[in-house]
This record gives sequence, structure tokens and C-alpha cells, in this order.
Amino acid sequence: MSEVSSTQEFQYSSPRHQAESAISGMWLFLATEMLFFGPLFLAWIYSRHWNQQGFDAGAQQTELIIGTVNTLVLVTSSLIYTLGVSFIEAGDSRKLIQCCVGAWLLGLVFLWLKFGVEWRHDFERRLFPASDFAIDDPHRDGALLFFVFYFLGTAVHGLHMIVGLILVGWIIFRARRKEFSAGFYTPVSVVGLYWSFVDMVWIVLYPLIYLIGRGA
Amino acid sequence: MTRSRHLLLAWGLLIALLAIEFGASFLALDRTARPLILIPAALMIAVVSVTFMELRRGPEPIRLFFAAGLLWLCILLGLGSLDPMTRINYYVLTTNLK
Repeated sequence: MSEVSSTQEFQYSSPRHQAESAISGMWLFLATEMLFFGPLFLAWIYSRHWNQQGFDAGAQQTELIIGTVNTLVLVTSSLIYTLGVSFIEAGDSRKLIQCCVGAWLLGLVFLWLKFGVEWRHDFERRLFPASDFAIDDPHRDGALLFFVFYFLGTAVHGLHMIVGLILVGWIIFRARRKEFSAGFYTPVSVVGLYWSFVDMVWIVLYPLIYLIGRGA
Repeated sequence: MTRSRHLLLAWGLLIALLAIEFGASFLALDRTARPLILIPAALMIAVVSVTFMELRRGPEPIRLFFAAGLLWLCILLGLGSLDPMTRINYYVLTTNLK
């Protein structure tokens, strides 16, 4: 937050004011995102409360190892990106690019595991909530609700991941053109906030999907 | 670099919390007590927001926005949960009514 921008826009009183406005603006957006995901979490509370056994029967069909590896991947990706921010604070643009590429690749690994491996297994095992749903009575209704939550939650989160990958790619592109320095790196910080937020959403989804119904 | 070390320590803490959460999921807890597994997740969110997102270091409005988001999320989840948590269902016999 101590950067001094050489690209100050007219509406800001100082480069610091400009940087702080961008950071605050992203936090305001993230506050609205918290409320965007809120109803999804409420749906989990409501549906599980009325269908505990069915909901837990659905959760027991999820792929715990893939979910756990994905959590590890996303947390590490967030760490690597933040390390990149600390490197550009010190003026090291080359290490910023390396960190961004590392974070971007881990994001890609997450998407591949989630949609390329896990979803494919789920479809093969007829766990998509449709007429040929694999789980039969007496837990069918609750399990159906669980998998509606599962597919909707992971799809919305995956969409945020794709947006995050585009943004990190944009940072890599600009960093390669040497647009960032110790004096100006606000876009790097702003994208880092978004990337960590997507990580936070997964930190909540992970226990809701894979853990809470597991040993019940 | 001190900040890098700080970030790596935070990452270690996140992994430890993830391991606790993962292990806790195998405990034989009652169905209604199982959402307690979310406690390590809440701590992980606190670690990410304070270290990776620099919640304490940034300008003043970000803490206001974070608190406001959290407050409205609590209101949403609190009010929304009130009905399922407090409603009592009285089951009635629907067969052999003739």
C-alpha cells in the first residue's frame, strides 16, 4: 500500500489515494460476492436440515481425495500469487511473472481435477440429479437435493475460477510488458484479492460438500 | 525476506487446519453436531483474509467493507435458518381416513 504510482489519474489527490481507492473498490465488490454466495450456503443449511440422512448419503458419494487435493492446490496457488505481490513490492518483476505463472497453472490443475476428472466420474456414476439418478429410496430425495447443491456450487465457483485465470493471465501479459514496478503494482494487488477470495469460497464449499456428511 | 517467511508460515497453518478438518470428518459425531467441522474452515478464512489479503495492513474502508459483508451474510444466514431451526412439524396420519 506504500506504492507511488507514476500513472495518477486526475480525479485522485495523490497516487496513494488512487491505489487505496482501487483496493477498497475491490473489497466492496468482494463484500457483494459474499452475499452472492450467501443464498447458496443458506440452501445447504435449509436442505440438509430437512433431509439430513439423504443429504449425508449424497455427500458420501463424493470424491474426498480429489476434493482435498483441490483444496491443497488452491491454497498453494493463493500463497504463490501473494508471494508474487511481495516480490513486485520489492521491484522484482521477473519473480512476479514466475509466481503468476505458477498460480495460473495450479488454477488450471484445479479446474482439470474438478471438471475433467471428478465431474466426469460423477456423470459416469449417474450422480447428476436427473431421472436416471443412481441413489434409490429411501434417501433419493435428499441425495438429489445434495447433488443439486453440489453441481450448482461447484459450477458457480468454477466460473469464478475461470474469471480469475483470465485476470491472472492479464497480469502476466502486463508484467511481461514491464508495466509493473515497485512504484506501481495496484492491478497485481487487486487481482490477488480476487484470487484469494475464490480460494476462500472453496474453503467453505469443501467441508459442506465432502466432509460434513462423510462420517454421519 | 520477512514477508515471504510470514506468508509461508500462514500457508503451513492453513495446511495444518486443513488436516484437522479432514481428520475431524472421520469422527463419529452426531448428525446435528457435524457442522462443527466448519470451525477449522472459519479459522482458515481468517488466516487467508489477514495474511494473503492483508486485511489489517490495507486502507481503513476495506475493514469496513469486510465487516459489512460479514454482517449481512450473518443476517442472511441467521434469518434464513430461523424457520428450519425453530419449526416443529406435527405429523398427521394420511392413510386409512375412510
